[in-house]
Amino acid sequence: MTNINSVDIKHLKNGEVNLGTSIMAVKFEGGVVIGADSRTTTGAYIANRVTDKLTHIHDRVYCCRSGSAADTQAVADIVHQHCQIYSSLYGTPPPVATVTSMFEKLCYTNKDQLSAGIIVAGWDAEAGGSVYNIPLGGGMFQQPWAIGGSGSTYVYGYCDATYQDGWNEEETVQFVKNTLALAMSRDGSSGGCIRMCVITKDKVQRHFIPGNELPRFWEGKEVVGAVAGVTA
Amino acid sequence: MTVQIQPQEEAVGFDFSNYARNQFLGQHMNGLPKATSTGTTIVGLKFGGGDSGEEEGVCLGADTRATAGDIVADKNCEKIHYLTPMIRCCGAGTAADTEFVTNLISSNLELHALSQGRPVRVVTAMTMLKQYLFRYQGHVGAHLVLGGVDSTGSHLFTIHAHGSTDKLPYVTMGSGSLAAMAVFESAYKPYLKREEAVALVARAIRAGIFNDLGSGSNVDVSIITKAGCETLRNYEMPNERGVKSRNYKFRRGTTAWVKENIRSLIVKEDVKITSGAGKEQPGIEPHPVPVGAGPGGEEGMDVDS
Amino acid sequence: MEYNGGSVVAMIGKDCVAIASDLRLGQQSVGVAMNFDKVFPVNDKLYYGLPGLATDVYTLREQLRFRVNMYRMKEEREITPKTFTHLVSSTLYEKRFGPYFIEPVVAGLPSPTELDPHPKPFISTMDTIGCITTPKDFAVAGTASNKLFGVAEGLWEPDLEPEDLFETISQTLLNAVDRDALSGWGAIVHVITHDKVITRQLRARMD
Repeated sequence: MTNINSVDIKHLKNGEVNLGTSIMAVKFEGGVVIGADSRTTTGAYIANRVTDKLTHIHDRVYCCRSGSAADTQAVADIVHQHCQIYSSLYGTPPPVATVTSMFEKLCYTNKDQLSAGIIVAGWDAEAGGSVYNIPLGGGMFQQPWAIGGSGSTYVYGYCDATYQDGWNEEETVQFVKNTLALAMSRDGSSGGCIRMCVITKDKVQRHFIPGNELPRFWEGKEVVGAVAGVTA
Repeated sequence: MTVQIQPQEEAVGFDFSNYARNQFLGQHMNGLPKATSTGTTIVGLKFGGGDSGEEEGVCLGADTRATAGDIVADKNCEKIHYLTPMIRCCGAGTAADTEFVTNLISSNLELHALSQGRPVRVVTAMTMLKQYLFRYQGHVGAHLVLGGVDSTGSHLFTIHAHGSTDKLPYVTMGSGSLAAMAVFESAYKPYLKREEAVALVARAIRAGIFNDLGSGSNVDVSIITKAGCETLRNYEMPNERGVKSRNYKFRRGTTAWVKENIRSLIVKEDVKITSGAGKEQPGIEPHPVPVGAGPGGEEGMDVDS
Repeated sequence: MEYNGGSVVAMIGKDCVAIASDLRLGQQSVGVAMNFDKVFPVNDKLYYGLPGLATDVYTLREQLRFRVNMYRMKEEREITPKTFTHLVSSTLYEKRFGPYFIEPVVAGLPSPTELDPHPKPFISTMDTIGCITTPKDFAVAGTASNKLFGVAEGLWEPDLEPEDLFETISQTLLNAVDRDALSGWGAIVHVITHDKVITRQLRARMD
C-alpha cells in the first residue's frame, strides 16, 4: 500500500530493491575467478554500498547475482538447500553443471515472476573450473567468461578484445578487476568496491578492492599522473 | 461402516473476497482509503567488541509518529517490536503489516524455541521474515530493521518488503532513512562504546524527526547485549506540547439535546439467600456430603465381584 | 468511505469515556436517512463505532456480534475493551487484501479485577486493515476525521467529569460535522461511567 521511499522505480516491481550491478566470472586453468561491484540501489538511493553479491552455494560453487535482490536471494537460498540435500544423499559435492541446472530450472519455470540474472561458477572434479551464465529468461550457457548486470553492457567490447585463453590465476584476477572497474566507472547503478573470489581445487580465496584503490589505468595522464597507467 | 471424523481444515491466511468489489468501488469513488503508514525513521547500530573494552551488542532506534496520508494518526506509537527476549525488530511501511508480521513471526519463533529447546538465532528470525515477505511479493508492506544477540554473537539486518535482506554494521530505513544515514555516515566508527552508540542512534533518529515530514515526536531506543535487552521508551522527547494556560471547558448545559436515556448499571449487589441448601438456618446443622457418595462413589455402586 | 458518509469520535474523561457519532446515511451527496446510528454496544461498559461504508457496517457488526458471543460462551466472562480491540483488529486484517471500508472506534471502561483494581478508561481506533492506535486523549474516524482532529486537539483536556466530557465531545462533533457535507443530520452521544450510561440525542443542524 505505501512505500517507504517516495522514489518510485516503475520497472520491476514498485519500490523493489535492485542489484543494478556489474558481475563477472572467468575460467582459467584449474579454477575460476568471480567478481562483482558492491552497490545495491532502491531507485536513486544506495541501500547498501558494501553488498556481497558473490553468494556461497556450496563448498566450491558460488554465484554472482544481478536483478532483484529479493528474487536472487530467494533462488540462491533454495539452490543452497538443494545442494545440502544433494551432498548428504550422494556423499559428494554437486558438480557445477548440476548446481547450474538447479538454478536454471527455477529461473525458467518462474520466468514470469522473477527478474534474476545469475552467473554460476565453481570448481568440480569432473570439469575443473567452469562458468555458466543464466540470463533473464532462464537459459543456461557455458562460457569461458561471462559478464552480467546493468554495467556489463559497457564492457563487452573490452572483454572480447582483451580475453585470452591460457591465463594463469594472477592474470585472470587482474582481468576481472580491470573489467569491473571499467564497468563501474560508466554505469551509475554500479559502484562502491570490488569483491572477487578465486575458486580452485584447494582454496576459496577472497579479494577485496576498496573504492579508493580501484584501477584507473584508462584515465589519461592528466588525471592519474604520469607514473600510474598502462599496467595498473 | 466406519465413520471417519476428520477435523475440518481450518481456514488460515488472508481472505480476498472483497478485493473485486473494492477495485470497483475505488474506480467509482475518489480512490481507496489510505492505510496508516509509519512514514518513519528507524535505525540500527552494532557496537562494542574490538578495542572498546565493552561487550558487543546492537542498538535499535525509532521515532514515534504514525501517519495516514498527511494526517498524523498517532503522535506516540511504538515501532520497536518484540520478537523474542533477545531479538527486537523496528518496522516501517504499512503499519498494520509491520505489526501483524512481527507478531506472527514472534509467535512462530516462540514455538521454534520450544521445539528446539534453545533460544532462537537472529538469522532464524531473519529467514522466517524474508521468506514470509517474499511469498507476498511486496504486497505485505513491511520494511524492517532486525537486531539481536544469540549464541553466535550480535547481528543486525535490514529486510525489505519484497524479501531481500542486508547484513551491515549500521542501517537505517523508512522515509527518514536518508537523514539518519547521513548522520551515521559522518559519525560511525567501529567498536563504539554502549553510551556512544545510544547517543549516535538518538542523533540519527533526531535527524529523521526534524528533517523528514513523515517522522516526528519522540525517540525510542532499544539496546540488546548478551546481558539482556533494555528498552528505553521515549528516551528523548524533543517535541513536548506546550501547556495551555487557560481552558476551553464548556459551561454545563451548552449543548442542547432532544432525547435522553440513562441506563443504570448494577455496580455491586448483595446476595441474601432466603431458601435452599445454601441458606444458614438456625438450629439446623449443615449436612456435608460424604466423600464418594452417590452413583459411582464407593458406597453407592456395586462393582462386579 | 465517502460513499455513505459519517463520523465517530471518542474521548477519555475522569473515570469515564464518551463515544459519539452523527446519524446521517447518505448515498454520495443524497441524504437517505437521519437515524443511522453507527455506535453499538458490546456489553454494559463497552461501545464501538463503525463509520464507513454502510454495507460493511452491517457485515462487520454481525461478524463482531458473532465473535463476541463465541468469546463470551468459551471464556464465560465479558470481553475487555483491549481484547475487543484486538478482536476487531484481526477481523479487519483477515481481509488485508480486500478490506472493509470501516475505521472502527472503540470506547470502554474496563471492569476492576483482582490484578488491576483501578483500570483506566480505554479508547482505540484502527485503520481499514486493523492497525491499532490507543490514544490517551481522543480518537476520531470517518469523513470528518480531519476536522475532528483539529477541533478535538483544541477542546479536549484531561480529567473531565462525565457532564463536562459530554459538553466537550458534543461540541467537538457538532462543530466538526457542520463543516463536513457528508456527516451530520443529527448526532448521538454515549457517556459511559461506572454506574450508568447516559445516551443523548443532540439538537443539530439538519442541512
